[in-house]
Amino acid sequence: MVEMVSKDNIENNTSSPLKKRGISYKQQDKIAFMILRGFALAIVLLLGLMIYQLFQASAPAIKEFGFSFIYNDFWNPIEDEFGALPFIYGTLVTSLIAILIAAPVSIAIALFINEYLPKALGNLLGLFVELISAIPSIIFGLWGLYYLAPWVKDSLTPILKSTLGFLPLFSGPSFGIGILTASIILSIMIIPTITSVCREVFKVVPSLQKEAALALGATKFEAIKLAILKPSFSGVMGAVVLGLGRALGETMAVAMVIGNSAEISKSLFGAGATMASVMANEYAEADSEIHLSALCLIGLLLFVVTFFVNFFARSITWKAKMRGKKV
Amino acid sequence: MSDVVLKVNDLKAWFDDFNAVKGIDLEYKRNTINAIIGPSGCGKSTYIRCLNRIHEEVAGAKISGEVLLEGKNIYAPDADPVEVRKHIGMVFQKPNPFPAMSIFDNVVIGPRLWGERNKKNLEEIAYKSLQKAALWDEVKDKLHQEGTSLSGGQQQRLCLARTLATNPPIILMDEPTSALDPIAAAKVEDLMMELKDEYTVIVVTHNMQQAARVADYTSFFVLGELIEHGLSSDIFTNPKNQKTEDYITGRFG
Ligand SMILES: Nc1ncnc2c1ncn2[C@@H]1O[C@H](COP(=O)(O)OP(=O)(O)OP(=O)(O)O)[C@@H](O)[C@H]1O
Ligand SMILES: [Mg+2]
Repeated sequence: MVEMVSKDNIENNTSSPLKKRGISYKQQDKIAFMILRGFALAIVLLLGLMIYQLFQASAPAIKEFGFSFIYNDFWNPIEDEFGALPFIYGTLVTSLIAILIAAPVSIAIALFINEYLPKALGNLLGLFVELISAIPSIIFGLWGLYYLAPWVKDSLTPILKSTLGFLPLFSGPSFGIGILTASIILSIMIIPTITSVCREVFKVVPSLQKEAALALGATKFEAIKLAILKPSFSGVMGAVVLGLGRALGETMAVAMVIGNSAEISKSLFGAGATMASVMANEYAEADSEIHLSALCLIGLLLFVVTFFVNFFARSITWKAKMRGKKV
Repeated sequence: MSDVVLKVNDLKAWFDDFNAVKGIDLEYKRNTINAIIGPSGCGKSTYIRCLNRIHEEVAGAKISGEVLLEGKNIYAPDADPVEVRKHIGMVFQKPNPFPAMSIFDNVVIGPRLWGERNKKNLEEIAYKSLQKAALWDEVKDKLHQEGTSLSGGQQQRLCLARTLATNPPIILMDEPTSALDPIAAAKVEDLMMELKDEYTVIVVTHNMQQAARVADYTSFFVLGELIEHGLSSDIFTNPKNQKTEDYITGRFG
């Protein structure tokens, strides 16, 4: 039999299973790998490029104002004098109030969905909450402008004034639009984020400890506090910080209801502006180079801050999840 | 007070459509130790989890039948599960100390939940409970370390101490010695014998010798059904049912 296989025959044996015509399997894999790696690298490069270009665009403002840009409280496009403090203040205050409102509400919703509702109903409500985050920002803005702002002016303000009016925070007249209204809109917008991350965090807490608490004669709420809330504290913090990250950068809705004035108002009823809203408002009309550059510098600052806030939040929730899995 | 502290009538339990416990009738006398034996997966855990209303916490769980605690049905519409669980304590099959909580806090969590605030009392409760659970000597110098830092067997005894600290008249134990070395297991067995003076114990075990040694009564379960129940001395020396005999002699299970 061996003699029958000629040399010629072996060399032309293209149907051998180990040797494919054209590109080999190995090469195909290599090409696929290179394409995928290319996309992955591109996205990282794009991020780097954006930071670099934003930096370039803000270079004139950095040169002109240096660090004083952060603590100067005047913003005067006519005189070309720019300090970002009013916007930093506006961003911090609106985000902080939004968190103060949204965090407890979101934690409560997440607990209610996970621990009290039957599974199907819970998932339905969860989906509903998540749909809120799919509503375009501009619709929140319009709603805020036409419904929330008048309500804040006519209903909420009198209540706050009569109970907490002695605080400077709640002094002065309310025109509806202003810091408080922007904060409330923001809180509604970040509730879905915080709620869904909290639900994830609560879900990985093992049910064993909850049963242990119940078996010791704890009420359902005590068991939840002890066996779910307590061990997931750091994960919940992560969720809240993630919500903060979203609040810091939210633009359109805030720009529509905050009143857009570059002032530092002690009263929450007063108008203000945030880093994001001032960029959206002034970018199209900025005619001097230094004005544009100052706006870019605000953008750079906001970018850096939100980047770190998000990074921080994700590292906390990730650690919490890992710990949940280990227990 | 009648002699029967807990009476189970036609108890059935389901996970969704799966019928794990298929109609159990049993009585437990005051101050006795009662063992439940049977092959893995036969519904022992599910059964005792019905006795303190923990089974219903599992999603999809269903229960029918009656469990009479001192003559009152714990599944009656007006029965309060929290009240029931204060009377019937439980040590779970898997150790489940509270994470991010010290050994001390783990032990006294029950009394704290029930309103005990006095530090001295709490310290005394912790000492006594850890002593009884044969854990005191191992942890007395590190009461403020996290409970989850202990070994599996130590965690099991920690959970036992946690249950003892609440002083329930009836104690359910689901394989309390399965993760223990023979010495610690013997200590827990001694404890059960001591507990008998004040408590009624229902214990699930895979250890025949243990059941024969400590239990006054033994019930044998197969596939969610009670095959045989009686004095341990009878069950282990003179079983009436062929399946029981096969199981305790190791020919089946
Ligand atoms: N959470 C659950 N969901 C669905 N089925 C379950 C669940 N827990 C247990 N079962 C099923 O119910 C049956 C009884 O389980 P159970 O845990 O009561 O057995 P067991 O006798 O305690 O076993 P072991 O000796 O291994 O602890 C088993 O068939 C098991 O597969
Ligand atoms: Mg079991």
